[in-house]
Amino acid sequence: MTDAPILSISDLRFAYGDIVAIDGVSCEVPAGRIGLVGANGAGKTTLLKLLLGVLLPADGRIQVLGHDMPRHTLDVRSRVGWMPEGDCLPPDQTAADFLGYAAELGGLPVRAARQRASDVLGLVGLHEERFRYMGGFSTGMKQRAKLAQAIVHDPELVLLDEPTAGLDPEGRTEMLDLVRRLDEFGINAIISSHVLTDIESTCDWVVMLDGGKVLRSNPLTSLSTPDVAEVEIIGDPQAVASAARRAGATVEVDDATLLISAPGGDPFSIARDAVLDAGAAFRRLGAKRTTLEDVFMEGGDTDG
Amino acid sequence: MAEGVVFDLRYKPHDGPRLGRSGARRALIKDGLRKVLGLRRRARRKVLPAILMSIAVMPALFFTAFAVVAGDFDVSETIFGHADYFDLNGSMALIFIALASSELLIPDRVHGTMSVYASRPLTTPDYVAGRAGALAIVVVAFLWIPHLVLLFGRAWVSDQGFGSYVFDHAELLWQTMLISFIYFVAYTSIAFLVAAFSKRTAVAAGVFIGIVTLSGATDALVQAGYDVFGLGAVLDHPGYVKDWILGSNGQNWIPARAGMEPVMSLAVIIVLAVVAGLIVNGRYRRAA
Repeated sequence: MTDAPILSISDLRFAYGDIVAIDGVSCEVPAGRIGLVGANGAGKTTLLKLLLGVLLPADGRIQVLGHDMPRHTLDVRSRVGWMPEGDCLPPDQTAADFLGYAAELGGLPVRAARQRASDVLGLVGLHEERFRYMGGFSTGMKQRAKLAQAIVHDPELVLLDEPTAGLDPEGRTEMLDLVRRLDEFGINAIISSHVLTDIESTCDWVVMLDGGKVLRSNPLTSLSTPDVAEVEIIGDPQAVASAARRAGATVEVDDATLLISAPGGDPFSIARDAVLDAGAAFRRLGAKRTTLEDVFMEGGDTDG
Repeated sequence: MAEGVVFDLRYKPHDGPRLGRSGARRALIKDGLRKVLGLRRRARRKVLPAILMSIAVMPALFFTAFAVVAGDFDVSETIFGHADYFDLNGSMALIFIALASSELLIPDRVHGTMSVYASRPLTTPDYVAGRAGALAIVVVAFLWIPHLVLLFGRAWVSDQGFGSYVFDHAELLWQTMLISFIYFVAYTSIAFLVAAFSKRTAVAAGVFIGIVTLSGATDALVQAGYDVFGLGAVLDHPGYVKDWILGSNGQNWIPARAGMEPVMSLAVIIVLAVVAGLIVNGRYRRAA
């Protein structure tokens, strides 16, 4: 993987008739695993289709892997895989046959395509099922076969649209493990989901969409705020809060949990001293962790 | 005793050649051939193509075998000349195209496989042309091979000698191939159009056969003096063009009764194919 951005979008607009789906989106995202989050109807799938050249933008500029879209659509498609949210598997074909075909469609020679199909089915845990007709697959197996068809031609970038949709908790964990492994395969990924915890557990960067606009495009590490201590105590929270305020800190109290920030000071030392002064004890102490859900509920504006 | 070793082969990137759009097109046609012939599909998918193929070639084989045994193969005494054979096989081709077209187009749209094509180096016209190309190969072979059997069978028992007979009748090779292609275009354009708007393969096949068969009803309108309805006789256009190319006049086709020249039937076939191609292309672009 390189340092060059895999995706560069400026002032992108798209509408289905009168309904504006993408409204002036601009962002640049680096290589790695990118989360694309937003509520249903936020424009995630539309954006993915624009990246593939399936839809043509009304206005704006898109560069995927350094290629201008839609001018170089076929070049981009040779290097990109897509796992759609809905069905895409023919029920009357075996997994091995379909994956071999999908690899050939991606431009691989016949022999290499067959070999890749076998290898990739092994990687996604479907090696034993490779000669079964896909019509008989469970939902989990179908999702894995869909991921396999998306990476079988060894793309540089794979677009995953709701990869955990319809999966039970075990299947969800397995799928997220596979998505995390894409890094190891050298495949960049853009993962669209409205399940924020899935994005938090798999991605290094997040693009947040709402109503066709970008709320935020940042690394996920920026969600933790090391200058705010989050303390859960055993004892009187108000006494601890008063002690911390006397030391010059700003304190928010929510039941037994306190958020302590100290501009110019160390909030963790202040928390330690305040707990001692109040005769309380720590249940938990750490940096404040903002979840994607917090950010989303606040309208994406948490960078501070 | 040697210890067992587990090799973790891990992910192996493809570092060989990439064939791009041309490779994708070839793969598409190969897959189309498999679908049409039921190869690498469940056993029941293979049965009908095999039966229709057998029925198509059977009469030609029978007459050739008969002539070899009897030592004579007089064209005037055999029931099936090349023109008549097209009339027989044209109906067979109609059923074959009805089933194959819906099998080629409908599952890809209904099962969402169009989204896989949309993520590969292919355009929608590539997809439609690839599907049509695969069907063309099978249908033209289906219609043409019996004529080869007839021609070479006659050459075999000919007093002229094999080579001399084939040389004298060489024009039949391209004429029958061209006619086979015209039958394919005439019927497939309508079959693709129906399949592009259907969700069930059996329904699409039935509707297509119904439309083509009912086009025979235009005869009544033509007889009532409305000659323009002769343009709608889609079942008869390829036959009329066939007789024109072969120089035979075995049947009184509806377009002929409507006072149309054979070239007009050919034009109708071409226009229908272009319009159908554009509509199917638009429909499948939206399906991705």
